[in-house]
Order: sequence, then C-alpha cells, then structure tokens
Amino acid sequence: MNLFASCREVRERLTEYQEGTLSRHDRVAVWLHLVICTACEAFYRGLRALPGVARLLLGPEEPPPAEAGQALEGALRRIGGHRH
Amino acid sequence: MDEDQLIERTAAGDSDAFGSLVGPYLGLFFNGILRILGNRADAQDALQDALLAIFKDLPGFQRRSRFSSWAYKICVNAALMFRRSHARLREESIDAVTGLGDLDRDGHHLDTRESLRWSEEAMALAEAERRQLRECMLQALAGLPDTLRMVFVLKDLEDWSTEEIAARLDQTTPAVRQRLHRARLQVQDRLRAHIQGRPS
Repeated sequence: MNLFASCREVRERLTEYQEGTLSRHDRVAVWLHLVICTACEAFYRGLRALPGVARLLLGPEEPPPAEAGQALEGALRRIGGHRH
Repeated sequence: MDEDQLIERTAAGDSDAFGSLVGPYLGLFFNGILRILGNRADAQDALQDALLAIFKDLPGFQRRSRFSSWAYKICVNAALMFRRSHARLREESIDAVTGLGDLDRDGHHLDTRESLRWSEEAMALAEAERRQLRECMLQALAGLPDTLRMVFVLKDLEDWSTEEIAARLDQTTPAVRQRLHRARLQVQDRLRAHIQGRPS
C-alpha cells in the first residue's frame, strides 16, 4: 500500500488495522490517512462502535418470543418421551 | 425455590424444575441462537436441541460459572452444530463489499461533508427508536450470507477471539478477519441507511 493511500484502500484494511495485524508500513499508512481524512476517521469510529451498538440493540426480547416457549415445550416432550 | 435448588432437582431428572430453571433465560437463549441462524424457525429447532443438551449435561455442571453463562454456551454450540448439519451455507459473493460510500476513480471520497457519524446517532436514537433499530439490525444480520453472519456474531456479539472463530469454523485467521470486515461493512451500511433515512 502506498504511504498516501486512498480512502478505498484504507477502508478495506480497517478491521486488520484495529486488530493490529497489518505490517508496520501499512499501519503507518492507515494511521496517516485517518489523521488527515475526517470522513474515513468517522467511518473507522463507526466500525469500532458497531459491536457496542449491535449489543445494545440486540439484547434479549421481553417477554421471550413464542418460539422460545414452543421450543421448551418440545424439549420437555422429548425428555418425557425418553423416560417412558 | 432458588436457582441452586432448581439445578439440583433438574440434575435428579425433574423436568418441571427444568422448565422453571430455564424459563427466565429463554429469551436470552433464543436471541443468541437467532443471531447466528438468522431464521426464527431454525432458531426454535436449535433451541429445542440446546435445551435437551442442557438437561442431559446438567448433572456434570461444575458451577464454575453462572448457570446462565454455561447454558448459553451450549446454545451457541447448538446453533453452530445446527447450521453445520441442517443447511448449506449461503456463500458470500466476492463483490459483496458495500459501505464504501461514493468514491472517485482514485478511491477518494467525492463528498467529505457526508455525515458518516451514524454510530453516535444510533446511540442517541437507541432509546426512542429501539424497536425500529433492532428490527433493522436483525434484518441486516439476516441479510448477511451465513459465512459472514457467523463470524460477525461470534466476534462482535459473543466476543470470541479471531483465533477461536478460525479454529471452530475451520478457517484461517486472515479469512476470518476478511469476512468480519465484509460483514461489518454491510451491517454498518444498512444501519447508516436506516438512520440517515435512505432506503436500505
């Protein structure tokens, strides 16, 4: 990667950048780009925030969905069936 | 009857106690499985398998962790097993990467004024529009190819390490990172479109 990388090149490497698996040269190139490109810096912030947002949004449903109750009923029937 | 007593009675084979033991966690278990499988009917079947496994394995539960944590792991494993045994994986297409926005021929932004700070907006909106956003996130997950969704869920929601995921899914760690990145881009694109009012 060129030291002065494009937004596309940088965005394709942001997960590797976050995990620290890029080469030193590429790491510097991404870092430099993020310093000077506010759009990519905001994009990177969004990627880093994604797990937290996803966990916030996807907490357990209240009350449990009907399918969960039906699964329990099915499991209890099978447990009973194994016994008899 | 408290949870410890319910565990004791379930381990002794009491199925009524088992129902009371897992009842408070059914939503948690179902939700965790649904995130991996992306389909409610499959999630129901996998949860049933998981509940049977929990019942069967409970006598060996060592109580080194909370019951809910131990049982949740069984549910995640059941979802992975279900995916492996019941369905062919929908593989992602090579050019499925989205979320790059409008770039010029050299790969730079056409419009740097575009608001990309969707995550802050998501956090701010989360309380008021939680239901809508939750639905959008579920659709985004369901819309991912299975191979991407499993990696995203295990890494970003279940907090597995890249190495654990690679070992479990029989992939290389660079492949896991690549799939994780593609999944994140697609999910982020969908959420951003929703928050910014664009059709997704």
